[in-house]
Amino acid sequence: MLAQLDRKLWRDLSRMKGQALAVALVMACGLAMLIMARSLIYSLESTSDAYYRAHRFAEVFAQLKRAPLGLLDRVRAIPGVALVQGGLSVQVTLDIPGLDEPASGNVRSLPEDGEPELNRLFLRRGQWFRPGGKREVLVSEAFAEANRLEPGDSIALLLNGRRQTFRIAGIVLSPEFIFESRPGAALPDNRSYGIFWLPYEELAHAFDLYGAFNSLALTLAADASERAVIAALDSLLEPYGGRGAHGRADHPSHIRVRDEIGVLRTLSVAFPVVFLSVAAFMVNAVLARLLNLQREQIAILKAFGFGNRQIVAHYLKFALVMVAAGTVFGAVGGNLLGRQLVVMYRMWFRFPDLHFIPDRSAFVLALAVSAFAAVAGVFSAVRRAAQLPPAEAMRPEPPARYRPAVLERTGIARFLSHSFRIAVRNLERRPMQALFTVAGLALATGIMIVPNCFRDSVAVVLGFQWDVTQRQDISVGLIEPQDRRARDAFAHLPGVQTVEPFRNAVARLRFGHRSRQIALQGLTRTGDHTRIIAPGTREIAPPEHGVVLSQKLAEVLGARIGDRLRIEVLEGRRLSADVPLVGVADDMAGLNAYLSLTALNRLLGEGDLVSGASFTVDPDRRTDFLRALKTVPRVGWVAIKESLRQNFEQTTAASINLIQTIYLTFATVVAFGVVYNNARISLAERSRELATLRVIGFSQREVAAVLVTELVILALLAVPCGLLLGTGFATAIVTQVNTETVRLPLVLTAHNYAFAVLVVAIASTISGFLVLRRLNQLNLVSALRAPE
Amino acid sequence: MHPVRRPPLDGEDSVNDGRPGLYRRMHPVHESAGADPARPQVFRARGLTKVYGSGEAEVHALAGVDLELHAGELIVLLGPSGSGKTTLLNQLGGLDGPTAGELWYRDIDLTHADEAALTHYRRDSVGFIFQFYNLIPSLTARENVALITEIARDPMTPEAALDMVGLSPRIDHFPAQLSGGEQQRVAIARAIAKRPEVLLCDEPTGALDVRTGIVVLEAIERVNRELGTLTVIITHNAVMADMADRVIHFSDGRVQRIHANARRARPDSLHW
Repeated sequence: MLAQLDRKLWRDLSRMKGQALAVALVMACGLAMLIMARSLIYSLESTSDAYYRAHRFAEVFAQLKRAPLGLLDRVRAIPGVALVQGGLSVQVTLDIPGLDEPASGNVRSLPEDGEPELNRLFLRRGQWFRPGGKREVLVSEAFAEANRLEPGDSIALLLNGRRQTFRIAGIVLSPEFIFESRPGAALPDNRSYGIFWLPYEELAHAFDLYGAFNSLALTLAADASERAVIAALDSLLEPYGGRGAHGRADHPSHIRVRDEIGVLRTLSVAFPVVFLSVAAFMVNAVLARLLNLQREQIAILKAFGFGNRQIVAHYLKFALVMVAAGTVFGAVGGNLLGRQLVVMYRMWFRFPDLHFIPDRSAFVLALAVSAFAAVAGVFSAVRRAAQLPPAEAMRPEPPARYRPAVLERTGIARFLSHSFRIAVRNLERRPMQALFTVAGLALATGIMIVPNCFRDSVAVVLGFQWDVTQRQDISVGLIEPQDRRARDAFAHLPGVQTVEPFRNAVARLRFGHRSRQIALQGLTRTGDHTRIIAPGTREIAPPEHGVVLSQKLAEVLGARIGDRLRIEVLEGRRLSADVPLVGVADDMAGLNAYLSLTALNRLLGEGDLVSGASFTVDPDRRTDFLRALKTVPRVGWVAIKESLRQNFEQTTAASINLIQTIYLTFATVVAFGVVYNNARISLAERSRELATLRVIGFSQREVAAVLVTELVILALLAVPCGLLLGTGFATAIVTQVNTETVRLPLVLTAHNYAFAVLVVAIASTISGFLVLRRLNQLNLVSALRAPE
Repeated sequence: MHPVRRPPLDGEDSVNDGRPGLYRRMHPVHESAGADPARPQVFRARGLTKVYGSGEAEVHALAGVDLELHAGELIVLLGPSGSGKTTLLNQLGGLDGPTAGELWYRDIDLTHADEAALTHYRRDSVGFIFQFYNLIPSLTARENVALITEIARDPMTPEAALDMVGLSPRIDHFPAQLSGGEQQRVAIARAIAKRPEVLLCDEPTGALDVRTGIVVLEAIERVNRELGTLTVIITHNAVMADMADRVIHFSDGRVQRIHANARRARPDSLHW
């Protein structure tokens, strides 16, 4: 008996396959997001965990000026310390053949004998150092790829001012540099900044550091307290120029991986909830219509002795078939999206082997969640139908009751056309169906706004960063602070239009019990390159007394203007001072503390020194400038605004494009789906009414106008809701990006809104057009017959 | 704007509305006999055939119908269900095309008319009345009629049309607030408001009780009489044959016989 009922199920479904498909696709969007996000979380977490474990990623990190290797034994003796690895880490510039500008990087030492205790490398291509081999270097993969370097190629490193050529032995990856960027930079610049490894002896000799270390990593014993170990380590290293140890939570590469997983977690909940709610409404609308059409069939089934339970089960199966189809589409879609995103992640994150690993539990969860949504959406309608007494169900539904629409009662009725009246009254009679269609269209509009808001916000940050606050073309940093002579050398480089020296120093800022380790920036008071902008676009000069902080840093410290902060310099003579907070800067990237160059030098007590300089350069002589810069000794790093911009285009912009494509697809599917569903239901429920209009002399176009008017009214209602919803989504997501690395302002442009509306309008129009084509097939003769 | 036409007196021409010959010759009431050759011909069918399906499932709904209908006639098309009478009505109304044969409405060849031409034909010349009224549920009585008067060439006002079927007091009610008979009278008002040349009624009283059915038939008869509209009523109710000028007996897709009433019975004299 039930087998026959199932046969009915399939035949009914094949008749309404368009609508079932529309529901399944909307559901699939949410499930794809769920499966994609959860699988990516799983992929990133399991891959990084395995990588960290296999390559012994350290748990505590410290930088210092220099300490004898013998001190490592005392580090090992700190209670709670498991493994310790000391080594060298220095900043260098290098000369890449074919690259005009000097690149810079971080060179690290590797033990002569065997693998390091911690932070072991992964050899991607080429070989490790040959025993006894000289002048060999290992290069990070991101840098090698960006500069098309292969094992066997040569690069020239300026080690402590001496230019030395090295042969690339191998291309490697490190768990310390999954996200590889210049310290403090929000965006990677793999073309001009890389990580390199040299044998300890070679590096130590070049920098007169033989028998010493300036960088330290360690792991913790099973039940050790990270905080206690860091405190002990800091006091041990302080005499050696220790700059303050930190745990993984402050490790720049680890933070980026962790933040990405955090974003995915938000996606894996927020979007599926919204999509599945709309899908649940759609299932409800489709089934409610089916139940209306099948009132008599239900009555007959009951008359023949089918129980309520069997009938409820039969109609729930309709919903479950759509759920199953949605889950299959969602799984396929989630897999495809996930694989695309993994390709994008490979651009940002360097793992030995990052694969998309489908999270099987996500599929089960997807099925369960969507089944719940669908059943919740239809259960009451199905139960009501099942409980109808057979005799009552056998009678056709009583005629629909209408009344003048609210709109007409306002007195503008006489200006309304008949098709407008029919449309408005229909919408008012079925407010829930109208509401769900509006909700779906609003959702589609809303999700379109998010990626463009993101793009616009990033553009504002970059514009602010590159055009407003940092107006130099090129910045150059020295390995060690130097006196006036370096300043003169900079001024004589070819093509220099303006040059402004700066001084940086690592310091810990304390206010009350809170503290942050940052780089103090000493700027010339008359300078025009790095500008400090206070809220309200007012420019502040670097203060002679006191300090100006990034608003975010003031927030982190809980300090307000007028408060006195404690500055503990972590390098040089390690002096401390109490200074007033005299202003906050409205900057969007990093945690910055500004004061005047002379004030900083006074604080440091080392005389009139500079850490580097920023330049504006005659565009025609840029190449000369960069070529000459390569010969300047003791340059530690070079940052070129133009190449940062280009790099951004290739990475960040490409990622945002991918995300936008995904959102565009989802918005299109949802807009298409809800309009299709609404129009099909209207067409089916009112085919008799529409056929009557045709019979009494209305043309196809005039009949279509009735349905189109309805859809247009719904769309017009949906647009403001969608823009509001999108503003909400964008606000929620963009303001989430308020980290110490970067803070996105909320930027909502008319262009963004217009594009969202346009996409949804096009999808809805095509969808509506597809349904209206069915008006051709409207059976005029059936209008004369008895209602079904 | 469009006052209800005054019932023409015997021998007097109806108002000249620019459609030559259509309303000119009003027939003497309750007097028509067989097809009156003096009345202008409105429909002419020759060998009209309609086949549904193919092969073994082939059904000859119309199996070669020859027929002529004239202006101002009240025709009752009588036949059992499945006899093909609705199929014939659909052909006359331009809702469906024949498989073979020809059908002329005045000088328009309905057999070969395209969709747009048929829409125009329905809009300008035909009024339909259905068994189940088929009102637009979201429009009031007045608006249901106004829907048609807006697109018609020379309509009467909705108020006048509704007045003709005696529904002025219920003019602002929605279909759900009207009884079946009232709904059918709104449907009649809707059909006649455009002053069609042809009024096609498919079992107009089929869903109504006797008393209400008679009220509806009176309205149809009045329209035929006062406006001179060629009226075709399909029914399987033989009693209604008495109110016709001519009765066409239909079965197996063919006209079996036609008989003319010497005198049309008044609808209120009918009983079933």
